[in-house]
Amino acid sequence: MLRASSKAKNENFDLSLIIGKAGDGNIPHGALLVAFAEAALGADDARLADTQVEIRAAIGDAALVDAAAIVATFNAIDRVADATGIQIEDAKAQSTADVRAALGINAFAESRGEVADPRAAQPAPQMAG
Amino acid sequence: MSISYTNVRAEVRDDIVAAHDRAWKRIARAGAWFGGKTRVAIAAETRHAPDCALCARRKQSLSPYGMDGTHDALGALPERVVEQIHRIVTDPARLTRGWFDALMAAGTRDTEYVEIVGVVATVVAIDTFCRAVGAPLHPLPAPQEGKPHNRRPRTAHQRGEAWVPMIHPKDLEVEPDTAEEQSLATYWGGVPANIRRALSLVPEEAYEWFRLVEVQYLPGKAMRDFANEYRAITHAQIELIAGRVSVLNQCFY
Repeated sequence: MLRASSKAKNENFDLSLIIGKAGDGNIPHGALLVAFAEAALGADDARLADTQVEIRAAIGDAALVDAAAIVATFNAIDRVADATGIQIEDAKAQSTADVRAALGINAFAESRGEVADPRAAQPAPQMAG
Repeated sequence: MSISYTNVRAEVRDDIVAAHDRAWKRIARAGAWFGGKTRVAIAAETRHAPDCALCARRKQSLSPYGMDGTHDALGALPERVVEQIHRIVTDPARLTRGWFDALMAAGTRDTEYVEIVGVVATVVAIDTFCRAVGAPLHPLPAPQEGKPHNRRPRTAHQRGEAWVPMIHPKDLEVEPDTAEEQSLATYWGGVPANIRRALSLVPEEAYEWFRLVEVQYLPGKAMRDFANEYRAITHAQIELIAGRVSVLNQCFY
């Protein structure tokens, strides 16, 4: 979806932010939002409090609430996907094969003894866009 | 008792408060296969899982399989149910089909398994929101009287798309025979992604879970409406957070 957003906006978002690359990745406050997500899932309460204050100051109270809601949603929905063993849809597998390969996301499937989508075994594309 | 976020510095949107209140009260009521007392016990065990020493050891090990032991549990649920809850909470990325099959062999029915996933996901979502926004966790709701309806949807089939049987929207065009399936058909109104179908073996868990998701995240049509913004953060910012969380959780889907 991040890539879809990037294409729709004709902007060059750096998708490697999601695997921990430093910087904003051409997304306003990208580094701060990543730090907030990491802190929310982590155990460092002070770091979380700092990022909450920074988001409120930089983007606003409503942004903190909406960012928290996204962290909450995906922390849970990932568990629904993993616990039910749903497969990735063919269309989605095809459209995201290059990105998943480039970002190393196929390794998540392989680590649980599954074969990642064979279509992912293609030359790695540029990360952005 | 109703959910409230009046103690949070940032004002929480009314629709989030209402959605959390609805979801919290649902936990306390009888579902498809469990009464309110068991559902609240599942919620309590979900919160307790991060404190389990066995889960902590498994999390640190190269493989969680082959490491025997007993979970630190609250004592209200069978061990196979505790195993399901704790693993989903503490180590979801390394769940396997073999693990799922072992739970089925141990006596958990697929319908029960799905309802448990629905309750766990609801608690994880709301508790994570509380932590992220700086609110204390809500007290668990008091169990409500009532019996589960025990209706299995005939439209759910195993098609090899998931470990659990799921409903395909095409089946709902001709077969629905329970109120829950009819509600699901109305709610879907098309062919949804597998993640929307994941809990459809217990239809009300599927549509109630996504009612919560759509409030916290975005309604379906808004997800791909990149010409308009619906939240205080942009589509790109939303998807950046979503992507980072999923990578941290090592979720392939």
